[in-house]
Amino acid sequence: MADFSLSAEQESLRDLARKFARTEMAPHAAECDRTPRFPEEIYRKAFDLGLMNLNVPVDYGGSGLGVFEACLIVEELAHACGGMTTSVIANCLALEPILLGGTPEQKDRFLKPFCAEYNLASFCLTEPSGGSDAGSLKTRARREGDHYILDGEKCFITNAPHASLYTVFATIDPALKTKGITAFVVPRSAVGLSTGKDEEKMGHRASSTSTVRFEGVSVPVADRLGEEGAGFSMAMRTLDQTRTPIGALATGIAQAALDHAAAYSLKRQSFGKPISEHQAIQIKLANMAQSVHAARLLTWHAAWTIDRGAKGTLESSIAKCFASDAALHVADEAIQTFGGYGYMKEYPVEKLLRDAKLTQIYEGANEIQRTVIARELLRQYA
Amino acid sequence: MEIVVCIKPVPEAETRLRVAPGGATLDAEGVKFVLAGYDESALEQALLLKEALAGSKVHAISFGPAPRTEEVLRAAVALGADLATWVESPSGSAVDPIQVARALAGAIAAIPHDLVLCGKQAGDDEAGLVPSALGELLALPDFGSVVDLRWDPVTARFKFLRSTDAGGERWEAATPCVIGLQQAWNDPRTAKLPNILKSRKAAIAKHPAGPDLPGARSEPQGFELPAPRTGARLIEYKSPQEAAQTLVRILREEAKVFP
Amino acid sequence: MTGPILIVGEVQNGHLSGPTLEAISVARSLGGSPSSLVGFVAGHDSRSTALEFGRFGVSHVWVARDPTLDSAPIAALALYIAAAATKAGAETILVGGTTLGRDLMGRLAIRWNAAVATGVTEVRRDGAALQVRRPIFGGRATETRRLDGAHVALALRPHAFPAPLDAPVDPVIEDLPSVPLPAAWLAPRRTGTETSAEGAGPSLGDASIVVSGGRGVRTAENFQLVEELAAALGAAVGASRAVTDAGWRPSSYQVGQTGRSVSPQLYLAVGISGAIQHLVGMLSSRVIVAINSDASAPIFRVADYGIVGDLFQIVPALTAEVRRVRAL
Repeated sequence: MADFSLSAEQESLRDLARKFARTEMAPHAAECDRTPRFPEEIYRKAFDLGLMNLNVPVDYGGSGLGVFEACLIVEELAHACGGMTTSVIANCLALEPILLGGTPEQKDRFLKPFCAEYNLASFCLTEPSGGSDAGSLKTRARREGDHYILDGEKCFITNAPHASLYTVFATIDPALKTKGITAFVVPRSAVGLSTGKDEEKMGHRASSTSTVRFEGVSVPVADRLGEEGAGFSMAMRTLDQTRTPIGALATGIAQAALDHAAAYSLKRQSFGKPISEHQAIQIKLANMAQSVHAARLLTWHAAWTIDRGAKGTLESSIAKCFASDAALHVADEAIQTFGGYGYMKEYPVEKLLRDAKLTQIYEGANEIQRTVIARELLRQYA
Repeated sequence: MEIVVCIKPVPEAETRLRVAPGGATLDAEGVKFVLAGYDESALEQALLLKEALAGSKVHAISFGPAPRTEEVLRAAVALGADLATWVESPSGSAVDPIQVARALAGAIAAIPHDLVLCGKQAGDDEAGLVPSALGELLALPDFGSVVDLRWDPVTARFKFLRSTDAGGERWEAATPCVIGLQQAWNDPRTAKLPNILKSRKAAIAKHPAGPDLPGARSEPQGFELPAPRTGARLIEYKSPQEAAQTLVRILREEAKVFP
Repeated sequence: MTGPILIVGEVQNGHLSGPTLEAISVARSLGGSPSSLVGFVAGHDSRSTALEFGRFGVSHVWVARDPTLDSAPIAALALYIAAAATKAGAETILVGGTTLGRDLMGRLAIRWNAAVATGVTEVRRDGAALQVRRPIFGGRATETRRLDGAHVALALRPHAFPAPLDAPVDPVIEDLPSVPLPAAWLAPRRTGTETSAEGAGPSLGDASIVVSGGRGVRTAENFQLVEELAAALGAAVGASRAVTDAGWRPSSYQVGQTGRSVSPQLYLAVGISGAIQHLVGMLSSRVIVAINSDASAPIFRVADYGIVGDLFQIVPALTAEVRRVRAL
């Protein structure tokens, strides 16, 4: 039996995120976007309230939430600022490989001290020569005794300049393709690890993104996650878990765009009446509302599917792909509703378009999502 | 110190008010209820006192119907209240604030209370009757509109400022007493996520409200919303001086509010 | 319910306060003949204020001379008021729209077994009962309540009623016998009083004009512009939470959900956008004027008059114009 009502617990978690988003994030969103600025004080507060390591079990110092609850929180945060949300939830992505592939000893050793204090972690998969084609990555890990030596470069790494821990995917032998990919946990203090300059981005400017270089970085075998060659599946299973919250993030941006557009349409006058009374605007708002609603329901459904223990690859790909496309479309229409004002940086909607764009690209470009959707779909007909 | 904090669920500030069928009360259908603003300050004040005085306990108590009353009590637990008591509203009928005070007093009398803290009034009915009625019912002195409440461990007394129309009065009072807080000069904390999850499992004690006593009472008969505001009449001007002159003229001659 | 009405007198600067006079107006509008209007005043030197009741048609005044009342909690005063009401055979007690009025009501409800209401803006008889109207939800709604019972006590809303016209009578002034007060009530000590900030201008609670500044004022120094306008108008100064949070002015200035609620004749909002948390503290003001540079600010939706413009130009001009007009 389908039930779309939230439990009292879920409502109170959503209320917490909404309050934090409205009071702590929203007032600084425009400034952090314009400057741009990485508002570490806000991320610290997010950590203090338990909004950061959502997927880490309570035993290891996290919040121990399911994907559904995480999605409720992420949507609320993203309503205030997509970029800040990306930075707040980056730990979920970076720590998921440890949760999936770490031994109990590794989880104890890595997660407990990490989660006990404000710390950021970065998920290092994408490389300059390719992101979507994760099987052909070039960062090498060579075994030397009880250590591996890592060499290579990762790019577009969220929070990298501020992180204290990196989960890194490298190949022990490029010829092995996906079967050579292996995951490691590398601390910031590792000799030979360096981060590049903060990238100047179109959107998500409150977040920080840079390259991470590995030059002869020595990693103990004890810090390898899973077996050699287990990394590719670990990365894919990680993305299966975190893709859905990106749908929620996109939904939050879309909802913000709709809220701005609807409120503006009621007060902006043209031809002697509020533009909300013009059918052209009403149709726009109605279409935007449909997109937002569908994006949320697809996200909820994918989250529900995963929380029931299913892999949810198809559902999460549909949710992420649809919601991010919806976010772009709704933000675009919000700008159109605002007219010339929408194009001005003084008004909040152009930022939403720039922030929405990234959701179509990161954590699996929508082209890849569609490939996955088609593959899963055709399997049912074969 | 045993601190009892009376809290009330009220519609959140952004609620679009609607009149209930029958026309006498707010239509609560679909309304989101939250901890009343002054009560939130009172709870924060209680938690600050508890943190300052080792061995103290904060006991949140609330009167009202399910589920909103239980929810604000859980919110109080998530914020740091040690105990929670729900005084069950006997029926869904609209109640007189004095009846609420009687119900609360019955429950408070049964638990230890060195300090009974309330918000000075709730943002919905704005009656502000509960603190002084509790004082009378519990035979304790009460102080309304209190700001800046502190505990002086040397004299074992509370020191506080009671805000009055003319300014303020400085007071010192020993326990037990009732305080209606106008504004804790504090920034109420936000409950942390793990504490919210824990609060879901907290035990909420239930206390029967007791019979509705006959006698003097007030009963709501009408709930009206003002006609929608048409928006400000904007003053047109070419210079700031002209704007000022026009406004002053309007305030004197049309609005007649200029002294 | 046509029996005597007891009016609780509050004294300000040696005279019956404005809110008390409003309470007298209400008592008279309820059809009270002079013989049914009874005053109450506390304090060891209250004969002159007792006489002042007579000027407005109150024919009998009970005086509580107990010196402990000067510094005792309101609970003690409530006992004397209930005693006076019993002596007078009163069925109704009226108190002005003050902190005292509000704080007395809960006591009187229990001690005097009365149906009570606070913040009342309209009163009328409804058969044997009284019907009152009062703004609720920060002025976003108005409720009508019927108060049933042998006794009714009301605290009014400030500025909701006119001052009474003179109707002089020669009042009978009687001292109340002293009432034994529970020792526990006398233990708390009033150690001092403070007047409103700087002692200048009226306080937020009883001012008939309030000028409030918000985020648009930009700095603590600029807030002086708001204060100068208030001084010119003889108004109290308020602020939005943005101002008190920024520390430009103390929290005692805050008007809104977690600050003071005000309902003056005139509320001037300067550089305040009009978040709902602020609006609920001032919506029941009679006339609202907004000055803001952003024409789409929500404050203009609730204001009666608005000036869209740069407050740094408008407010000094307005201050000058107010001074000019008042000097005439």
